[in-house]
Amino acid sequence: MQKPSLLTQKVTRRALLKVGSGLGVGSLLPLSGLSASTLRTQAHIVVLGGGAAGMAMVNRLAKRLQGGTITLVEPRETHHYQPGWTLVASGVWNADKTMRPNAQFLPRGVNWVREHAASIDADNKRITLAGGETLEYDFLIVATGIQLNYHLIEGMKPELVGQHGIGSVYAGIEEASRTNQAIQTWLQNGHGRGIFTAAPTPVKCAGAPLKMTFTTLSRLEASGRRDAFDVDYMAPGASLFSQPWVDEFVKQRFDDQGVNRRHHYRLSAIDPHAKQAEFAFVGPESEFTSHHQLRQAEFRRDDQPTVIADYDFIHVVPPMSAHDFVKQSALIAQDGPFRGEWLDVDIHTLQHNRYPEVFGIGDVIGAPINKTAASVKAQAPVVEENLLALMQGNALPARHMGYTSCPMITGIGKAMLVEFGYADNFAFMPSFPFIDPTEESWAVWVMKDRMLQPAYYAVLEGQA
Amino acid sequence: MSIGGILTILMYALAPFVWLLIMGLIIIIGLHLLAYLRGYQITHHRSRPANLLALLIGLTAILWVPWLTHSALGFVATAVDWIALIGAAAATFVIALIILHPLSYLISLKHEELPKQ
Repeated sequence: MQKPSLLTQKVTRRALLKVGSGLGVGSLLPLSGLSASTLRTQAHIVVLGGGAAGMAMVNRLAKRLQGGTITLVEPRETHHYQPGWTLVASGVWNADKTMRPNAQFLPRGVNWVREHAASIDADNKRITLAGGETLEYDFLIVATGIQLNYHLIEGMKPELVGQHGIGSVYAGIEEASRTNQAIQTWLQNGHGRGIFTAAPTPVKCAGAPLKMTFTTLSRLEASGRRDAFDVDYMAPGASLFSQPWVDEFVKQRFDDQGVNRRHHYRLSAIDPHAKQAEFAFVGPESEFTSHHQLRQAEFRRDDQPTVIADYDFIHVVPPMSAHDFVKQSALIAQDGPFRGEWLDVDIHTLQHNRYPEVFGIGDVIGAPINKTAASVKAQAPVVEENLLALMQGNALPARHMGYTSCPMITGIGKAMLVEFGYADNFAFMPSFPFIDPTEESWAVWVMKDRMLQPAYYAVLEGQA
Repeated sequence: MSIGGILTILMYALAPFVWLLIMGLIIIIGLHLLAYLRGYQITHHRSRPANLLALLIGLTAILWVPWLTHSALGFVATAVDWIALIGAAAATFVIALIILHPLSYLISLKHEELPKQ
């Protein structure tokens, strides 16, 4: 939905004055040697977060803006190719393959602030950094990614990954490597029970918990002792994946491969030394979909029945949300399915619903699907076009249709290219007419193994 | 996805291997140049062993290309998979032939020169 009324309410004064000095005839000025036209501006644009979304945006804006100031707030020196973490945790890739210096992707002329953001004062257009310094902005792009809430699972912390049979691909690259070692240790034991969990919240790369199960099944089968291992999948809701066809496919495949599916259970506590996990039965009334979630308050309910399960290996998927400093800001959704947890944006224009000079991109936004790097590829041009239109006082021209993609690894060596969007109950949106999203394929696996990382770096540099 | 988008991603995919591709090209061009200076003509030289070896390397690619990609021949299932794999095998055959053909000429030349010594 476009919001011209919001635009004229808040953006007109300071920001448009700054942009106006360079607008001249009030249009995008084509410059020789550039593929896209550029905009003269004196505005200060702050991009919070230098992950896939933030880095793609600074690269795109650096190409399109002349004269303005672009500030990237990102404390990390190393950029992590997170879509590769499942391959690291599955023993297919080395960890080194997923890391590159952030400086390699940063375009010239961008002011890089190597600090954490501590708070956002949206009313005064001000960011406070962890060191106490403040940054004022005319336009803000929130690309802060996701917060892993391991603390909502009693007894669990990321430091435990790799010990006591605990794995968790999400915790970081070191933890992905340690997850691989934990699986290897379980395999070497020659028998035992593995429990794979899912989170009762939206998660980044929603296919990752399923991929970890499938790749581990491959390793169990390759060991020649599959029957000696029990594998359970504990899902907080009735579905395992938001795309309906894939959901049914995965359920059927789990049944075929001897995975015990249990629904409406969420991991509530873990005792690492006893190798026991506690699951709360959340019941069908807490139906898990991508956009109706259990909220943080519900994690503390005492009236939910629990079961204790012994394990030899457990893959922990933490509940996730926007970072606390985003949740504590006025930018967080105030009502609706994303209230209190995710950034309040129009899911099509990616403009904030109440602060028009703010855009959101990537994992942080409240959207029914879209917490993938593939979504960033689709969202980045939308934010770019809409921000430039806003800076000129025009209506927002670009719309994000919810495109997301998950190369669903169904075993080590094969995958399905699952691409879908908001429309028609998450109907498929295939990029290649010759690749059937419902077929397991070696070619798709090769794409995941060899082609998606270069594609990701092209997105980061604003080239794709 | 547009053709331009595919080409961009291909360029990014090949970028880390540019030095390898350049080195391979230098070896192939050098080999052909060396053979040419010694009378090699691509259309005139006949070498059944070189052709057979190139064919063998191309055919075995059907086995080792999936392995190189952390997969296995058993997972080559769809029409696209087979087209991609046959394409990879054909490319391997052509590259092997481009190397082995002038190489066989140089070897045969050396063998002809040996009795004179």
